[in-house]
Amino acid sequence: MNTRGHPVSTTARWVLIALMLAWTLVPIVWMVLSSFKPTNAITAYPPKLFFSPTFEHYHALFSGGNNLWNNVVNSLIATGVSTLIAVVLGSAAGYGLSRIQIRGKDHLAFWIISTRMAPIAAVIVPLYLMFRYLHMLDSYSGLIVAYLSFNLPFAIWLMTAFFDDLPRDLEEAAHIDGATKWQVFWHVALPLMKPGIATTTILCFIFAWNDYAFAATFAGPSTQTIPIAAAQLLTQTGIDWGKLLAIGTVVVCPMAVFGLLVKRWLVTGLTLGAVK
Amino acid sequence: MAGNARRGGQGFELAMMSPALILLAAISFIPLFTMIWMSLSKVGLIGGLSFDFIGLDNWRHLFTDPDIGSSWILSLIYFAATVGAEMVLGTLMALLIHSLIKGRNFVLSLVLIPMFIAPIIVGLLGRFLLDPSFGLYSWFLSATGLYDGNILGSVGPALAAVIALDIWEWSPLVALIVLAGLTAVPTDILEAAEVDGASYRHKLVSIILPSILPILLVALLIRAMDAIRFFAIIFITTNGGPADSTKIIPIRLYDIAFRFFDLGYASAVGLTMLVFSIVIATVFVRVLQRKEAVV
Repeated sequence: MNTRGHPVSTTARWVLIALMLAWTLVPIVWMVLSSFKPTNAITAYPPKLFFSPTFEHYHALFSGGNNLWNNVVNSLIATGVSTLIAVVLGSAAGYGLSRIQIRGKDHLAFWIISTRMAPIAAVIVPLYLMFRYLHMLDSYSGLIVAYLSFNLPFAIWLMTAFFDDLPRDLEEAAHIDGATKWQVFWHVALPLMKPGIATTTILCFIFAWNDYAFAATFAGPSTQTIPIAAAQLLTQTGIDWGKLLAIGTVVVCPMAVFGLLVKRWLVTGLTLGAVK
Repeated sequence: MAGNARRGGQGFELAMMSPALILLAAISFIPLFTMIWMSLSKVGLIGGLSFDFIGLDNWRHLFTDPDIGSSWILSLIYFAATVGAEMVLGTLMALLIHSLIKGRNFVLSLVLIPMFIAPIIVGLLGRFLLDPSFGLYSWFLSATGLYDGNILGSVGPALAAVIALDIWEWSPLVALIVLAGLTAVPTDILEAAEVDGASYRHKLVSIILPSILPILLVALLIRAMDAIRFFAIIFITTNGGPADSTKIIPIRLYDIAFRFFDLGYASAVGLTMLVFSIVIATVFVRVLQRKEAVV
Protein backbone atom coordinates (compact mmCIF):
# COMPACT_ATOMS: atom_id res chain seq x y z
CA MET A 1 0.00 0.00 0.00
CA ASN A 2 1.21 3.45 -0.84
CA THR A 3 1.68 5.37 2.38
CA ARG A 4 2.17 8.81 0.91
CA GLY A 5 0.14 11.35 2.78
CA HIS A 6 -0.24 9.03 5.74
CA PRO A 7 -0.51 11.17 8.88
CA VAL A 8 1.93 9.07 10.86
CA SER A 9 5.49 8.26 9.87
CA THR A 10 6.74 4.71 9.70
CA THR A 11 8.38 4.98 13.12
CA ALA A 12 5.28 6.41 14.73
CA ARG A 13 3.25 3.63 13.17
CA TRP A 14 5.48 0.98 14.72
CA VAL A 15 5.16 2.69 18.09
CA LEU A 16 1.37 2.54 17.77
CA ILE A 17 1.53 -1.14 16.75
CA ALA A 18 3.73 -1.86 19.76
CA LEU A 19 1.24 -0.07 22.04
CA MET A 20 -1.64 -2.04 20.56
CA LEU A 21 0.19 -5.34 21.05
CA ALA A 22 1.19 -4.41 24.60
CA TRP A 23 -2.42 -3.50 25.50
CA THR A 24 -3.61 -6.80 24.03
CA LEU A 25 -0.90 -9.20 25.13
CA VAL A 26 0.51 -8.01 28.47
CA PRO A 27 -2.39 -9.48 30.53
CA ILE A 28 -2.16 -12.85 28.76
CA VAL A 29 1.63 -13.06 28.86
CA TRP A 30 1.64 -11.98 32.51
CA MET A 31 -0.86 -14.72 33.38
CA VAL A 32 1.04 -17.47 31.58
CA LEU A 33 4.39 -16.26 32.93
CA SER A 34 3.13 -15.98 36.49
CA SER A 35 1.66 -19.50 36.37
CA PHE A 36 5.28 -20.74 36.28
CA LYS A 37 6.40 -18.59 39.21
CA PRO A 38 6.92 -19.83 42.74
CA THR A 39 4.07 -18.60 44.96
CA ASN A 40 6.03 -15.89 46.73
CA ALA A 41 7.16 -14.45 43.38
CA ILE A 42 3.55 -14.21 42.14
CA THR A 43 2.53 -11.86 44.93
CA ALA A 44 5.83 -9.98 45.14
CA TYR A 45 5.67 -6.19 45.19
CA PRO A 46 6.91 -4.59 43.04
CA PRO A 47 6.10 -7.27 40.44
CA LYS A 48 8.98 -9.55 39.48
CA LEU A 49 9.95 -10.17 35.89
CA PHE A 50 12.73 -12.67 36.59
CA PHE A 51 12.27 -15.86 38.60
CA SER A 52 13.21 -19.51 38.57
CA PRO A 53 10.39 -21.31 36.69
CA THR A 54 8.46 -24.08 38.37
CA PHE A 55 5.69 -26.52 37.38
CA GLU A 56 4.47 -26.83 40.96
CA HIS A 57 1.08 -25.17 40.29
CA TYR A 58 0.30 -27.42 37.32
CA HIS A 59 1.45 -30.39 39.35
CA ALA A 60 -0.79 -29.40 42.27
CA LEU A 61 -3.68 -28.85 39.86
CA PHE A 62 -3.54 -32.29 38.26
CA SER A 63 -2.67 -34.44 41.26
CA GLY A 64 -4.46 -35.39 44.46
CA GLY A 65 -8.02 -36.56 45.03
CA ASN A 66 -10.19 -33.70 43.81
CA ASN A 67 -8.08 -32.59 40.89
CA LEU A 68 -8.82 -30.64 37.73
CA TRP A 69 -9.07 -33.76 35.52
CA ASN A 70 -12.65 -34.21 36.74
CA ASN A 71 -13.49 -30.68 35.62
CA VAL A 72 -11.72 -31.17 32.29
CA VAL A 73 -13.78 -34.31 31.66
CA ASN A 74 -17.01 -32.50 32.65
CA SER A 75 -16.20 -29.58 30.36
CA LEU A 76 -15.34 -31.89 27.46
CA ILE A 77 -18.54 -33.93 27.81
CA ALA A 78 -20.94 -30.98 28.17
CA THR A 79 -19.20 -28.90 25.50
CA GLY A 80 -18.49 -31.78 23.11
CA VAL A 81 -21.95 -33.35 23.12
CA SER A 82 -23.80 -30.03 22.79
CA THR A 83 -21.49 -29.00 19.94
CA LEU A 84 -21.99 -32.31 18.13
CA ILE A 85 -25.79 -32.11 18.38
CA ALA A 86 -25.81 -28.45 17.33
CA VAL A 87 -23.58 -28.98 14.30
CA VAL A 88 -25.30 -32.18 13.03
CA LEU A 89 -28.84 -30.82 13.38
CA GLY A 90 -27.72 -27.32 12.35
CA SER A 91 -26.09 -28.54 9.13
CA ALA A 92 -29.19 -30.42 8.05
CA ALA A 93 -31.51 -27.56 8.99
CA GLY A 94 -29.18 -24.98 7.45
CA TYR A 95 -29.30 -26.81 4.12
CA GLY A 96 -33.06 -27.16 4.27
CA LEU A 97 -33.57 -23.53 5.24
CA SER A 98 -31.20 -22.32 2.55
CA ARG A 99 -32.93 -24.25 -0.24
CA ILE A 100 -36.58 -24.12 0.79
CA GLN A 101 -38.97 -21.57 -0.68
CA ILE A 102 -41.81 -20.94 1.70
CA ARG A 103 -43.78 -17.96 2.81
CA GLY A 104 -42.77 -16.75 6.23
CA LYS A 105 -39.15 -17.80 5.78
CA ASP A 106 -38.08 -14.37 7.07
CA HIS A 107 -40.13 -14.85 10.23
CA LEU A 108 -38.55 -18.26 10.74
CA ALA A 109 -35.07 -16.79 10.35
CA PHE A 110 -35.92 -14.00 12.76
CA TRP A 111 -37.18 -16.43 15.37
CA ILE A 112 -33.91 -18.39 15.10
CA ILE A 113 -31.67 -15.34 15.49
CA SER A 114 -33.68 -13.93 18.40
CA THR A 115 -33.32 -17.26 20.23
CA ARG A 116 -29.57 -16.97 19.82
CA MET A 117 -29.53 -13.40 21.12
CA ALA A 118 -31.63 -14.02 24.22
CA PRO A 119 -29.77 -12.70 27.29
CA ILE A 120 -28.27 -15.55 29.30
CA ALA A 121 -29.43 -14.08 32.61
CA ALA A 122 -33.01 -14.16 31.32
CA VAL A 123 -32.81 -17.73 29.97
CA ILE A 124 -31.31 -19.06 33.21
CA VAL A 125 -34.41 -18.36 35.32
CA PRO A 126 -37.01 -20.57 33.58
CA LEU A 127 -34.41 -23.24 32.81
CA TYR A 128 -33.49 -23.41 36.49
CA LEU A 129 -37.10 -24.02 37.42
CA MET A 130 -37.59 -26.62 34.68
CA PHE A 131 -34.37 -28.47 35.54
CA ARG A 132 -35.29 -28.47 39.19
CA TYR A 133 -38.68 -29.94 38.36
CA LEU A 134 -37.19 -32.54 36.00
CA HIS A 135 -34.27 -33.39 38.32
CA MET A 136 -31.78 -32.18 35.73
CA LEU A 137 -29.71 -29.97 38.02
CA ASP A 138 -26.17 -31.30 38.42
CA SER A 139 -26.52 -33.43 35.27
CA TYR A 140 -24.77 -33.40 31.93
CA SER A 141 -28.12 -33.33 30.14
CA GLY A 142 -29.03 -30.06 31.87
CA LEU A 143 -25.81 -28.39 30.78
CA ILE A 144 -26.15 -29.80 27.26
CA VAL A 145 -29.68 -28.43 26.90
CA ALA A 146 -28.52 -25.06 28.28
CA TYR A 147 -25.67 -24.88 25.75
CA LEU A 148 -27.95 -25.96 22.93
CA SER A 149 -30.19 -22.99 23.74
CA PHE A 150 -27.58 -20.70 22.19
CA ASN A 151 -25.50 -23.07 20.02
CA LEU A 152 -28.34 -24.73 18.12
CA PRO A 153 -29.78 -21.46 16.71
CA PHE A 154 -26.23 -20.27 16.06
CA ALA A 155 -25.39 -23.42 14.08
CA ILE A 156 -28.65 -23.34 12.07
CA TRP A 157 -28.22 -19.65 11.20
CA LEU A 158 -24.54 -19.87 10.32
CA MET A 159 -24.84 -23.06 8.27
CA THR A 160 -27.73 -21.45 6.37
CA ALA A 161 -25.45 -18.51 5.55
CA PHE A 162 -22.66 -20.85 4.40
CA PHE A 163 -25.05 -22.93 2.24
CA ASP A 164 -26.53 -19.73 0.76
CA ASP A 165 -23.07 -18.92 -0.58
CA LEU A 166 -22.59 -22.29 -2.25
CA PRO A 167 -22.98 -22.10 -6.04
CA ARG A 168 -26.01 -24.12 -7.16
CA ASP A 169 -24.63 -25.27 -10.55
CA LEU A 170 -23.09 -28.49 -9.23
CA GLU A 171 -26.26 -29.42 -7.37
CA GLU A 172 -28.38 -28.68 -10.42
CA ALA A 173 -26.09 -30.86 -12.55
CA ALA A 174 -26.33 -33.74 -10.09
CA HIS A 175 -30.14 -33.40 -10.08
CA ILE A 176 -30.22 -33.64 -13.85
CA ASP A 177 -28.03 -36.75 -13.65
CA GLY A 178 -30.77 -38.32 -11.57
CA ALA A 179 -29.41 -37.98 -8.06
CA THR A 180 -31.96 -37.82 -5.25
CA LYS A 181 -32.07 -34.72 -3.05
CA TRP A 182 -30.43 -36.62 -0.22
CA GLN A 183 -27.59 -37.76 -2.53
CA VAL A 184 -27.10 -34.20 -3.72
CA PHE A 185 -26.86 -33.00 -0.12
CA TRP A 186 -24.62 -35.81 1.09
CA HIS A 187 -22.28 -36.22 -1.90
CA VAL A 188 -22.25 -32.76 -3.48
CA ALA A 189 -23.14 -29.98 -1.04
CA LEU A 190 -21.78 -31.33 2.25
CA PRO A 191 -18.24 -32.13 1.05
CA LEU A 192 -17.91 -28.50 -0.16
CA MET A 193 -18.93 -27.32 3.30
CA LYS A 194 -15.82 -28.42 5.18
CA PRO A 195 -14.71 -24.87 6.05
CA GLY A 196 -18.25 -23.93 7.12
CA ILE A 197 -18.64 -27.02 9.28
CA ALA A 198 -15.20 -26.55 10.83
CA THR A 199 -15.93 -22.90 11.64
CA THR A 200 -19.35 -23.67 13.11
CA THR A 201 -17.95 -26.56 15.18
CA ILE A 202 -15.07 -24.56 16.59
CA LEU A 203 -17.18 -21.51 17.44
CA CYS A 204 -19.87 -23.63 19.11
CA PHE A 205 -17.15 -25.39 21.08
CA ILE A 206 -15.58 -22.10 22.21
CA PHE A 207 -18.95 -20.56 23.23
CA ALA A 208 -19.86 -23.58 25.37
CA TRP A 209 -16.36 -24.13 26.76
CA ASN A 210 -16.22 -20.48 27.89
CA ASP A 211 -19.63 -20.52 29.59
CA TYR A 212 -19.71 -19.57 33.22
CA ALA A 213 -23.24 -18.40 34.06
CA PHE A 214 -25.11 -21.58 33.07
CA ALA A 215 -22.63 -23.91 34.74
CA ALA A 216 -22.56 -21.74 37.88
CA THR A 217 -26.32 -22.16 38.20
CA PHE A 218 -26.95 -25.69 36.90
CA ALA A 219 -23.80 -27.70 37.59
CA GLY A 220 -23.41 -29.51 40.89
CA PRO A 221 -20.55 -31.32 42.60
CA SER A 222 -20.37 -34.04 39.94
CA THR A 223 -20.63 -31.86 36.81
CA GLN A 224 -18.53 -28.78 37.56
CA THR A 225 -16.77 -27.47 34.48
CA ILE A 226 -13.32 -25.84 34.47
CA PRO A 227 -14.59 -22.22 34.72
CA ILE A 228 -16.49 -23.22 37.87
CA ALA A 229 -13.30 -24.64 39.39
CA ALA A 230 -11.64 -21.28 38.70
CA ALA A 231 -14.52 -19.30 40.21
CA GLN A 232 -14.46 -21.41 43.36
CA LEU A 233 -10.78 -20.78 43.92
CA LEU A 234 -11.41 -17.09 43.33
CA THR A 235 -14.10 -16.75 46.01
CA GLN A 236 -12.10 -18.46 48.72
CA THR A 237 -10.28 -16.39 51.30
CA GLY A 238 -6.56 -16.67 50.77
CA ILE A 239 -6.67 -17.09 46.99
CA ASP A 240 -4.23 -19.68 45.59
CA TRP A 241 -3.07 -17.51 42.68
CA GLY A 242 -0.61 -20.06 41.32
CA LYS A 243 -3.32 -22.66 40.81
CA LEU A 244 -5.75 -20.08 39.44
CA LEU A 245 -3.33 -18.75 36.85
CA ALA A 246 -2.54 -22.32 35.82
CA ILE A 247 -6.29 -22.98 35.33
CA GLY A 248 -6.57 -19.77 33.34
CA THR A 249 -3.76 -20.91 31.07
CA VAL A 250 -5.41 -24.32 30.61
CA VAL A 251 -8.78 -22.71 29.71
CA VAL A 252 -7.37 -20.07 27.35
CA CYS A 253 -4.60 -21.68 25.30
CA PRO A 254 -6.55 -24.43 23.47
CA MET A 255 -9.35 -21.98 22.55
CA ALA A 256 -6.92 -19.40 21.17
CA VAL A 257 -5.36 -22.11 18.99
CA PHE A 258 -8.77 -23.44 17.81
CA GLY A 259 -10.03 -19.95 17.08
CA LEU A 260 -7.01 -19.04 14.99
CA LEU A 261 -7.30 -22.32 13.06
CA VAL A 262 -10.42 -20.97 11.35
CA LYS A 263 -9.21 -17.36 11.16
CA ARG A 264 -10.06 -17.15 7.46
CA TRP A 265 -13.81 -17.71 8.22
CA LEU A 266 -13.97 -16.08 11.65
CA VAL A 267 -15.50 -12.87 10.43
CA THR A 268 -18.30 -14.78 8.69
CA GLY A 269 -18.85 -16.91 11.77
CA LEU A 270 -18.85 -14.16 14.36
CA THR A 271 -21.10 -11.84 12.34
CA LEU A 272 -23.45 -14.79 11.72
CA GLY A 273 -22.83 -14.55 8.00
CA ALA A 274 -23.48 -10.80 7.75
CA VAL A 275 -19.90 -10.12 6.59
CA LYS A 276 -18.13 -12.40 4.16
CA MET B 1 -36.68 -21.90 -6.98
CA ALA B 2 -39.16 -22.96 -9.62
CA GLY B 3 -37.12 -26.06 -10.47
CA ASN B 4 -37.40 -27.28 -6.93
CA ALA B 5 -41.16 -27.16 -6.91
CA ARG B 6 -41.33 -29.02 -10.23
CA ARG B 7 -39.33 -31.87 -8.73
CA GLY B 8 -42.12 -32.68 -6.37
CA GLY B 9 -42.57 -30.30 -3.47
CA GLN B 10 -40.30 -29.37 -0.66
CA GLY B 11 -40.78 -32.35 1.60
CA PHE B 12 -37.06 -33.06 1.65
CA GLU B 13 -36.16 -29.55 2.82
CA LEU B 14 -38.85 -29.67 5.51
CA ALA B 15 -37.61 -33.07 6.69
CA MET B 16 -34.07 -31.71 6.95
CA MET B 17 -35.22 -28.73 8.96
CA SER B 18 -37.69 -30.37 11.29
CA PRO B 19 -35.41 -32.14 13.83
CA ALA B 20 -33.50 -28.95 14.60
CA LEU B 21 -36.56 -26.71 14.56
CA ILE B 22 -38.62 -29.02 16.76
CA LEU B 23 -35.79 -29.19 19.30
CA LEU B 24 -35.27 -25.42 19.12
CA ALA B 25 -38.99 -24.82 19.57
CA ALA B 26 -38.95 -27.06 22.64
CA ILE B 27 -35.96 -25.36 24.26
CA SER B 28 -37.11 -21.84 23.42
CA PHE B 29 -40.93 -21.77 23.68
CA ILE B 30 -41.28 -23.94 26.78
CA PRO B 31 -38.89 -21.71 28.79
CA LEU B 32 -40.53 -18.58 27.34
CA PHE B 33 -44.05 -19.62 28.38
CA THR B 34 -42.73 -20.84 31.72
CA MET B 35 -41.11 -17.44 32.24
CA ILE B 36 -44.30 -15.53 31.34
CA TRP B 37 -46.26 -17.71 33.74
CA MET B 38 -43.59 -17.28 36.44
CA SER B 39 -43.75 -13.51 36.02
CA LEU B 40 -47.44 -13.67 36.98
CA SER B 41 -46.80 -15.87 40.01
CA LYS B 42 -45.16 -16.00 43.36
CA VAL B 43 -42.83 -18.95 42.88
CA GLY B 44 -42.08 -21.02 45.97
CA LEU B 45 -39.12 -23.39 46.06
CA ILE B 46 -39.24 -24.68 49.62
CA GLY B 47 -41.06 -27.96 50.06
CA GLY B 48 -41.59 -28.59 46.34
CA LEU B 49 -42.32 -26.08 43.62
CA SER B 50 -45.37 -23.92 44.05
CA PHE B 51 -46.96 -21.25 41.90
CA ASP B 52 -49.36 -18.73 43.45
CA PHE B 53 -51.03 -16.62 40.80
CA ILE B 54 -50.64 -12.99 41.76
CA GLY B 55 -51.59 -11.30 38.51
CA LEU B 56 -49.55 -8.28 37.60
CA ASP B 57 -47.99 -7.68 41.04
CA ASN B 58 -44.46 -8.48 39.82
CA TRP B 59 -44.91 -6.17 36.86
CA ARG B 60 -46.27 -3.35 39.01
CA HIS B 61 -43.31 -3.82 41.32
CA LEU B 62 -40.96 -3.77 38.33
CA PHE B 63 -42.06 -0.36 37.13
CA THR B 64 -41.90 1.23 40.58
CA ASP B 65 -38.70 -0.43 41.84
CA PRO B 66 -35.99 2.26 42.05
CA ASP B 67 -33.27 -0.45 42.11
CA ILE B 68 -34.38 -1.75 38.71
CA GLY B 69 -34.55 1.77 37.31
CA SER B 70 -31.03 2.61 38.46
CA SER B 71 -29.72 -0.73 37.16
CA TRP B 72 -31.17 -0.02 33.73
CA ILE B 73 -29.64 3.46 33.69
CA LEU B 74 -26.31 2.00 34.75
CA SER B 75 -26.66 -0.69 32.07
CA LEU B 76 -27.26 1.91 29.39
CA ILE B 77 -24.17 3.84 30.53
CA TYR B 78 -22.21 0.58 30.56
CA PHE B 79 -23.44 -0.45 27.08
CA ALA B 80 -22.76 2.99 25.62
CA ALA B 81 -19.27 3.17 27.14
CA THR B 82 -18.19 -0.37 26.21
CA VAL B 83 -19.75 -0.59 22.76
CA GLY B 84 -18.79 3.01 21.91
CA ALA B 85 -15.17 2.59 22.93
CA GLU B 86 -14.98 -0.80 21.22
CA MET B 87 -16.20 0.73 17.95
CA VAL B 88 -13.61 3.52 18.09
CA LEU B 89 -10.70 1.41 19.34
CA GLY B 90 -11.55 -1.51 17.07
CA THR B 91 -11.70 0.77 14.02
CA LEU B 92 -8.35 2.36 14.94
CA MET B 93 -6.83 -1.09 15.39
CA ALA B 94 -8.18 -2.17 12.00
CA LEU B 95 -6.79 0.94 10.26
CA LEU B 96 -3.43 0.36 11.92
CA ILE B 97 -3.29 -3.33 11.00
CA HIS B 98 -4.49 -2.53 7.48
CA SER B 99 -1.61 -0.07 7.00
CA LEU B 100 0.90 -2.86 7.57
CA ILE B 101 2.53 -4.35 4.53
CA LYS B 102 4.58 -7.03 6.20
CA GLY B 103 3.33 -9.12 9.10
CA ARG B 104 -0.31 -8.05 8.82
CA ASN B 105 -1.56 -11.59 9.30
CA PHE B 106 0.68 -12.25 12.27
CA VAL B 107 -0.24 -9.03 14.07
CA LEU B 108 -3.93 -9.69 13.44
CA SER B 109 -3.64 -13.18 14.95
CA LEU B 110 -2.09 -11.77 18.11
CA VAL B 111 -4.67 -9.01 18.38
CA LEU B 112 -7.58 -11.46 18.06
CA ILE B 113 -6.59 -13.62 21.04
CA PRO B 114 -8.58 -11.79 23.78
CA MET B 115 -11.94 -12.60 22.21
CA PHE B 116 -11.35 -16.35 22.56
CA ILE B 117 -10.82 -15.99 26.29
CA ALA B 118 -13.62 -17.08 28.61
CA PRO B 119 -15.17 -13.98 30.24
CA ILE B 120 -14.57 -15.50 33.66
CA ILE B 121 -10.85 -15.70 32.90
CA VAL B 122 -10.95 -12.06 31.74
CA GLY B 123 -12.44 -11.27 35.14
CA LEU B 124 -9.72 -13.33 36.80
CA LEU B 125 -7.09 -11.35 34.87
CA GLY B 126 -8.72 -8.13 36.07
CA ARG B 127 -8.57 -9.27 39.68
CA PHE B 128 -4.95 -10.38 39.24
CA LEU B 129 -3.67 -7.29 37.43
CA LEU B 130 -5.58 -4.82 39.61
CA ASP B 131 -4.92 -6.44 42.97
CA PRO B 132 -4.06 -3.56 45.34
CA SER B 133 -1.13 -5.38 46.96
CA PHE B 134 0.66 -7.01 44.01
CA GLY B 135 -1.22 -6.38 40.74
CA LEU B 136 0.96 -5.42 37.78
CA TYR B 137 -1.39 -2.66 36.60
CA SER B 138 -2.00 -1.37 40.15
CA TRP B 139 1.73 -1.15 40.57
CA PHE B 140 2.10 0.65 37.24
CA LEU B 141 -0.67 3.15 38.03
CA SER B 142 0.73 3.86 41.45
CA ALA B 143 4.38 4.07 40.25
CA THR B 144 3.38 6.58 37.56
CA GLY B 145 1.30 8.51 40.07
CA LEU B 146 -1.96 8.03 38.14
CA TYR B 147 -3.96 6.19 40.77
CA ASP B 148 -3.14 4.81 44.16
CA GLY B 149 -5.80 2.72 45.80
CA ASN B 150 -8.01 -0.34 45.54
CA ILE B 151 -9.40 -0.02 42.02
CA LEU B 152 -12.06 -2.76 42.15
CA GLY B 153 -13.09 -1.63 45.64
CA SER B 154 -13.76 2.03 44.87
CA VAL B 155 -16.98 3.33 43.35
CA GLY B 156 -15.78 5.16 40.21
CA PRO B 157 -12.66 3.15 39.36
CA ALA B 158 -14.46 -0.21 39.71
CA LEU B 159 -16.93 0.74 36.96
CA ALA B 160 -14.08 2.07 34.79
CA ALA B 161 -12.19 -1.20 35.34
CA VAL B 162 -15.03 -3.54 34.33
CA ILE B 163 -15.69 -1.35 31.29
CA ALA B 164 -11.98 -1.53 30.37
CA LEU B 165 -12.00 -5.33 30.71
CA ASP B 166 -14.94 -5.60 28.33
CA ILE B 167 -13.23 -3.23 25.88
CA TRP B 168 -10.07 -5.31 26.11
CA GLU B 169 -11.91 -8.50 25.28
CA TRP B 170 -14.19 -7.26 22.48
CA SER B 171 -12.38 -4.47 20.55
CA PRO B 172 -10.60 -7.21 18.57
CA LEU B 173 -13.96 -8.43 17.23
CA VAL B 174 -14.75 -4.95 15.92
CA ALA B 175 -11.23 -4.74 14.47
CA LEU B 176 -11.74 -8.07 12.66
CA ILE B 177 -15.06 -6.98 11.17
CA VAL B 178 -13.82 -3.51 10.13
CA LEU B 179 -10.69 -5.01 8.61
CA ALA B 180 -12.92 -7.14 6.37
CA GLY B 181 -14.59 -3.92 5.27
CA LEU B 182 -11.30 -2.11 4.67
CA THR B 183 -10.06 -4.90 2.42
CA ALA B 184 -13.12 -4.34 0.25
CA VAL B 185 -12.58 -0.58 -0.20
CA PRO B 186 -12.01 -0.10 -3.94
CA THR B 187 -8.30 0.58 -4.43
CA ASP B 188 -8.69 2.34 -7.79
CA ILE B 189 -10.70 5.14 -6.18
CA LEU B 190 -8.07 5.46 -3.44
CA GLU B 191 -5.30 5.61 -6.04
CA ALA B 192 -7.18 8.19 -8.08
CA ALA B 193 -7.61 10.32 -4.95
CA GLU B 194 -3.90 9.97 -4.27
CA VAL B 195 -3.03 11.13 -7.76
CA ASP B 196 -5.23 14.16 -7.12
CA GLY B 197 -3.13 14.82 -4.02
CA ALA B 198 -5.74 13.97 -1.40
CA SER B 199 -4.46 13.83 2.16
CA TYR B 200 -4.87 10.70 4.29
CA ARG B 201 -7.44 12.44 6.43
CA HIS B 202 -9.39 13.46 3.37
CA LYS B 203 -9.31 9.91 2.00
CA LEU B 204 -10.39 8.55 5.39
CA VAL B 205 -13.34 10.90 5.75
CA SER B 206 -14.60 10.96 2.17
CA ILE B 207 -13.76 7.49 0.83
CA ILE B 208 -12.83 4.92 3.49
CA LEU B 209 -15.37 5.68 6.22
CA PRO B 210 -18.39 6.00 3.90
CA SER B 211 -17.61 2.70 2.22
CA ILE B 212 -17.22 0.81 5.50
CA LEU B 213 -20.33 2.35 7.05
CA PRO B 214 -22.59 -0.70 6.51
CA ILE B 215 -19.97 -2.95 8.06
CA LEU B 216 -19.57 -0.61 11.05
CA LEU B 217 -23.30 -0.91 11.57
CA VAL B 218 -23.07 -4.72 11.56
CA ALA B 219 -20.22 -4.57 14.10
CA LEU B 220 -22.24 -2.20 16.28
CA LEU B 221 -25.31 -4.43 16.27
CA ILE B 222 -23.33 -7.62 16.97
CA ARG B 223 -21.65 -5.97 19.95
CA ALA B 224 -24.89 -4.43 21.19
CA MET B 225 -26.60 -7.82 21.20
CA ASP B 226 -23.74 -9.49 23.05
CA ALA B 227 -23.36 -6.65 25.55
CA ILE B 228 -26.60 -7.64 27.27
CA ARG B 229 -25.98 -11.38 26.91
CA PHE B 230 -22.84 -11.74 29.01
CA PHE B 231 -22.21 -10.70 32.58
CA ALA B 232 -19.47 -13.05 33.80
CA ILE B 233 -16.72 -10.41 33.86
CA ILE B 234 -18.57 -8.23 36.37
CA PHE B 235 -19.86 -11.30 38.19
CA ILE B 236 -16.36 -12.41 39.07
CA THR B 237 -14.63 -9.05 39.58
CA THR B 238 -17.04 -6.90 41.58
CA ASN B 239 -20.32 -8.85 41.57
CA GLY B 240 -22.14 -5.55 41.22
CA GLY B 241 -20.29 -3.73 43.99
CA PRO B 242 -19.00 -1.61 45.53
CA ALA B 243 -22.29 -0.01 46.65
CA ASP B 244 -24.11 -1.32 43.54
CA SER B 245 -21.90 0.85 41.32
CA THR B 246 -21.43 -1.96 38.76
CA LYS B 247 -24.79 -3.71 39.21
CA ILE B 248 -25.98 -3.77 35.60
CA ILE B 249 -29.34 -5.36 34.89
CA PRO B 250 -28.20 -9.01 34.35
CA ILE B 251 -26.31 -8.95 37.67
CA ARG B 252 -29.38 -7.45 39.38
CA LEU B 253 -31.54 -10.18 37.87
CA TYR B 254 -29.17 -12.92 39.02
CA ASP B 255 -29.24 -11.47 42.55
CA ILE B 256 -33.04 -11.37 42.62
CA ALA B 257 -33.29 -14.93 41.30
CA PHE B 258 -30.50 -16.76 43.09
CA ARG B 259 -29.70 -14.73 46.20
CA PHE B 260 -33.23 -13.75 47.19
CA PHE B 261 -34.89 -16.61 45.27
CA ASP B 262 -37.68 -14.37 44.01
CA LEU B 263 -37.99 -16.25 40.72
CA GLY B 264 -41.31 -14.69 39.75
CA TYR B 265 -39.98 -11.16 39.96
CA ALA B 266 -36.73 -12.21 38.24
CA SER B 267 -38.82 -13.54 35.33
CA ALA B 268 -40.47 -10.16 34.88
CA VAL B 269 -37.04 -8.49 34.81
CA GLY B 270 -35.80 -11.17 32.39
CA LEU B 271 -38.70 -10.59 30.00
CA THR B 272 -37.88 -6.88 29.76
CA MET B 273 -34.26 -7.80 28.92
CA LEU B 274 -35.59 -10.17 26.27
CA VAL B 275 -37.62 -7.35 24.71
CA PHE B 276 -34.46 -5.21 24.61
CA SER B 277 -32.48 -7.91 22.76
CA ILE B 278 -35.37 -8.64 20.37
CA VAL B 279 -35.50 -4.97 19.38
CA ILE B 280 -31.80 -5.02 18.48
CA ALA B 281 -32.16 -8.36 16.67
CA THR B 282 -34.99 -6.85 14.60
CA VAL B 283 -32.74 -4.00 13.48
CA PHE B 284 -29.95 -6.50 12.72
CA VAL B 285 -32.17 -8.60 10.46
CA ARG B 286 -33.52 -5.47 8.70
CA VAL B 287 -29.96 -4.28 8.04
CA LEU B 288 -29.01 -7.70 6.66
CA GLN B 289 -31.98 -7.79 4.30
CA ARG B 290 -31.30 -4.26 3.08
CA LYS B 291 -27.65 -5.11 2.52
CA GLU B 292 -28.57 -8.14 0.43
CA ALA B 293 -30.91 -5.99 -1.64
CA VAL B 294 -28.09 -3.55 -2.37
CA VAL B 295 -25.35 -6.06 -3.21
